[in-house]
Amino acid sequence: MATYLARRIGQSLLAVFLTLTTVFLLLRLAPGDPAAAYAAPSATAADLARIRAEFGLDEPLITQYGIFLRDLCTGNLGTSYSFHASAFQVVMDRLPYTITLAVAAIAVTTVVAVPLGVWMARRADTKRELGTNVLTITGQSMPDFWTGMMLLTVFAVLLPVLPASGFTSWSGLVLPTVTVAVLQLALVSRLVRREMTTALAAPYTTVARSRGVSERALTWRYGLRNSAVPLVTALGTRFAALLNGVVVVEVVFGWPGVGSLVVRALETRDYPLIQATVLVTATLAILVQLLVDLAYPLFDPRVRLGKAA
Amino acid sequence: MTPLLDVRDLQIELVTAHGVVRAVDGVSFTVGRGETVTLIGESGSGKSTTAMGVLRLLPEGLAVLSGSVRIGGRDVLTDPGAARAVRGRTVSLIPQDPMTALSPVHTIGRQLGDAIRLRHPELSRAQARERGVDLLGQVRISRPETRWTSYPHQFSGGMLQRILIAIALAGDPELLVADEPTSALDATVQADVLDLLMELQERTGIGMLMITHDLGVARLVSDRIHVMKDGRFVESGPAGQIVERPAEPYTRDLLAAVPRLGAWDEDGTAIEGAIP
Repeated sequence: MATYLARRIGQSLLAVFLTLTTVFLLLRLAPGDPAAAYAAPSATAADLARIRAEFGLDEPLITQYGIFLRDLCTGNLGTSYSFHASAFQVVMDRLPYTITLAVAAIAVTTVVAVPLGVWMARRADTKRELGTNVLTITGQSMPDFWTGMMLLTVFAVLLPVLPASGFTSWSGLVLPTVTVAVLQLALVSRLVRREMTTALAAPYTTVARSRGVSERALTWRYGLRNSAVPLVTALGTRFAALLNGVVVVEVVFGWPGVGSLVVRALETRDYPLIQATVLVTATLAILVQLLVDLAYPLFDPRVRLGKAA
Repeated sequence: MTPLLDVRDLQIELVTAHGVVRAVDGVSFTVGRGETVTLIGESGSGKSTTAMGVLRLLPEGLAVLSGSVRIGGRDVLTDPGAARAVRGRTVSLIPQDPMTALSPVHTIGRQLGDAIRLRHPELSRAQARERGVDLLGQVRISRPETRWTSYPHQFSGGMLQRILIAIALAGDPELLVADEPTSALDATVQADVLDLLMELQERTGIGMLMITHDLGVARLVSDRIHVMKDGRFVESGPAGQIVERPAEPYTRDLLAAVPRLGAWDEDGTAIEGAIP
């Protein structure tokens, strides 16, 4: 177990490091000049050169990378060009909003998709199940900015019951959450349906039925419990993905999270800020994945961590 | 006295991809207290379908049953509620493959304890455990109290089958339906499980419907044997008579197919059909 954990943490650190390096190089290879984005439109070539020198961008790439690594080791991710503050601190200030949205969206997805999937498994291949399928797939197929704007139009403009933008009160969480959840519903409910259908047709279910176990207990105790591993995997993966920032939804709803931050950072070529965002979100995503893996034995006693590949 | 199980003119039609198949075509038989009645036949003869049909465990909508099946006097074909009511109380199933018959994510104590509490809701978990440990001892699981919290994958097939027998006995049933209870087990373990079943029957006077393709098993445990082929009984009678003086060629073929120890060329008989 300890070896397993050490190996997994080692792998995770390596993954974060490689991601950071890739982002570092890609940013500098991509067209666009941070100095031009930073400076006033009237800036002269000399001004731009001065700004580049100030940001350390006049050094050769390999030197810049060396400085980046040295600073990284001391926990310094640089100063954001546009915020004039520690890039790491800027990201951390935004992070709670993204986590709040991700937690809310996964919670709503779970609460809706799990019973829905169970219901679909019990009504498999009926017209109603087909109809539900079509509905959830429609939800998944709609682009998130469109879903978001439709919800805004209906619930913030036509029936002004919810705030349109930003996070001024908890009601501001409702529309972005629903928009994100709609995207996940089809995937999760169909996964639950598939796993439940398998579990309900398994020999152990028939044998349990033969000894008088009620249909309700067969569904919730035997069926759902046996579907837990793929379900937890899917929810964990979706959650990790949401932590990287729900860029479009955050922009549509003016949500002050990491997703809208990264858009701004890209627009202004704010290298330190982009790198800090990548470091924080990649670390979080990998951490969530590790926790999900560590949780497997809780859901399936046959899983022994570190024993089998 | 009414028999425990009274099957009259049972027909079962299964909806398959190739259309409707009549898997069981008008069989009638009874099982009384303390009696073992065996349905024997090749795969596809309809014997397991009969057993699962009697318990109403065939998938709803894919199996059409007609005739009458009475368990403990209650007609389970016309009344699905009666089928639910007798399961685990009047009748229990011992399944074919013990390795897949228990939920892999629940401890055997949980599954056995639940079976006990279904029948005896007045018992607390601790009391159910006490009773369950006792049942595990009866089916010769060693150190049952330490195995209570083990999971199915931590047992061998033979041990699992004995645990499933304990679970089947948890509701104090009067009738056991054993659907090829030994065919997934090693030969040496098969004898253990059959021994155990016969010993339990002697002690409790439970009735048993045994499904098997193995005439060796049938000869050992049965009072009466029904030989089944293509959904019908081709021959029925007391075990001794069927084994010693089979009237039908099909039964003689089944008998001849029982493997015996000896030189390879000594035993030239087999049911016709080429190995592909």
